[in-house]
Amino acid sequence: MKKLSFVFTLFIFPFFAFAKVQIATTTTDLAALVRQVGQDQVEVFAIGKGTQDPHQIEAKPSFMVKLRSTDLVLAQGLELESAWLTPLIQGARNPKLLAKEGVMELAAELDPIEIPKGAVSRAEGDVHPGGNPHFQLDPIRLGKAALLIAARLGDLVPAKKEFFIKNAEAYLKQMKDKTTAWQERLKKTGIKEVVTYHKTFSYFCDRFAISCLIQLEPKPGIPPTASHLLSVIEQMKKKKIKLVLIENLYEDSVGPRLKQALPDVVVERVPVSVEGEPGIASNEQLIERLVSVFEKGAH
Amino acid sequence: MHFRMNFFVLFLSALAYGAPAFCLTTPNISANALFLYRNSNFHKEDADPMNLDEKPNGLNVREMELQLSSDVDPYTRLNLLFSISPVYEANGTGVEETWALEPEEAYAESNVVPGVLLKIGKLKAFMGKHNLLHTHAAPFIESPLANTSLLGEEGLNDAGLSAGLLLPASWFSELTLQYLRGKGENEEFRSPTPGEGVGLAHWKNLFDLSDDLTMEIGISYAQGGNSYRETTSLSGADWTLKWRPSEGGRYRSLVWAAEYLGRHQSQAGVPQEKGSGVTTWIQYQFAERWASLYRYDTLSMKDSFDPVNLPNETWRRHSLAVVFSPSEFSSFKLEADQRTGGPKNANGDGTERSLFLQANFTIGAHAAHAY
Repeated sequence: MKKLSFVFTLFIFPFFAFAKVQIATTTTDLAALVRQVGQDQVEVFAIGKGTQDPHQIEAKPSFMVKLRSTDLVLAQGLELESAWLTPLIQGARNPKLLAKEGVMELAAELDPIEIPKGAVSRAEGDVHPGGNPHFQLDPIRLGKAALLIAARLGDLVPAKKEFFIKNAEAYLKQMKDKTTAWQERLKKTGIKEVVTYHKTFSYFCDRFAISCLIQLEPKPGIPPTASHLLSVIEQMKKKKIKLVLIENLYEDSVGPRLKQALPDVVVERVPVSVEGEPGIASNEQLIERLVSVFEKGAH
Repeated sequence: MHFRMNFFVLFLSALAYGAPAFCLTTPNISANALFLYRNSNFHKEDADPMNLDEKPNGLNVREMELQLSSDVDPYTRLNLLFSISPVYEANGTGVEETWALEPEEAYAESNVVPGVLLKIGKLKAFMGKHNLLHTHAAPFIESPLANTSLLGEEGLNDAGLSAGLLLPASWFSELTLQYLRGKGENEEFRSPTPGEGVGLAHWKNLFDLSDDLTMEIGISYAQGGNSYRETTSLSGADWTLKWRPSEGGRYRSLVWAAEYLGRHQSQAGVPQEKGSGVTTWIQYQFAERWASLYRYDTLSMKDSFDPVNLPNETWRRHSLAVVFSPSEFSSFKLEADQRTGGPKNANGDGTERSLFLQANFTIGAHAAHAY
């Protein structure tokens, strides 16, 4: 019996002692944040890919298999993932995720913007009643999200709580410093207003004092129509808008039409998530890529 | 099993009245309406006005669904789904349209046992893939010939117990065991013997062939006592290939599915009845809001117990459809079907040609359909 206990201690115990906490995220942006905070103390996988629309991920049963052994799911929230995340959680049959603490939604804790006033109706398209969930392009909110993640990871692994919080605080400071630099570079471009396909850039625009009130979608989730495009072209002429950003989740079918009507306009298809194109492995690299697009658009 | 409509209206009113005051505990509510225009040479109303026809030509509400779901407590969720649809009944001088309200599904489910999804209540049995679908989620207007003829118009749907076990494999592998009471609307399992129910097993496997491509394989088997005090058995197999690219998946996707369903029924003193059918269909999404579909399905009967409605021959059907979806909450489907074999119409025509136009609208917090 003693021998058996020794063998157990020698071979089995280390797996428990050093088992990493398993985190699933709904987006690659959150996965990158978890890596910043948890570093080598966590294992993380993202359900959605950086090139996929997070509103429309398919609830593949293979994700349920991965979620079976997951300790925590991190979601952006504000109903961004509600259509597909609930069936995945239920299908995974993992008691840890079915508990209230099993899923952590971040956007609601990060001072959401664009909260609709009055009654919300689908006549206005795919509106999020709690506000815009696409906070991943705001470096300061990313830093604050890192702090929230660190606190939650600390609950899961109390022995590493300080390690997680230290990493998150360092990340927030790094993003604050970077934001100051990005603000200066964007100011130099002189671009004060852009057109985007969907309201993905709202937090980015809010942070860097750029107006992005005109979308190619007539309403959230509704593809561009000919009459709406004409209206956008008229507004761009009137406001002298020179830059159009099309999230690379969407096809660039309207870009050529805009270029035909407004030859001087720069139309750029850009990533809006980590891993949204090759070479973008972190949230910082993603925002750097967007800032460089503005610099290119200014010339 | 029809309920009185006024009780249902009262129930809805109570829900609506209670919603603002108790919003935290109000269930998710969603409703769906299907409007269908049908033109078929098998459903000419003037061909035989006294012969009951539940699928008359013309435009009508096909079905309305009301779904409520919510957590009961930390252990259980409750799902209720009511269906309202027109029914045509002879009144002595003609055919009268009335409305039927039925509980399509009403079950509680729980994950209280780790790794197992438990259900109790009235539910769609896990007999293949198509039998699980609600009407508005079916790829074609008409169900596969085998499902309609061997399981009935409403499919295999009965009160019972279900346990879905996620097997410890590196791919998705789920074994579902169900016990149904055998007293539902399904003729093939209505045993007069008290306590004689139906046992069912389904094994579902899904493999990620790549990030963009999945393959699902499932097998099903059910057995229970029938109304002839003998045994009916069902066997099924399904296969689905789904492709949706990680880049551009909003605009292009492909589904190719095939399903086999067989039924053997015994009755004392006569040969065993054997029926089986295969359906295969393909759906190609060629634009953000457009998809085209094609289906081929067959049904073969041998030693039928009901040779008038289920003749001993092979039925074949081709279906072609195009779907336009303005949003994820509405769609319009134009479909043409041609069937040969099977029952003849009032004019003795053995080839059924149908044209359908269906509008599909959903409001409220509708749960996502299974992958």
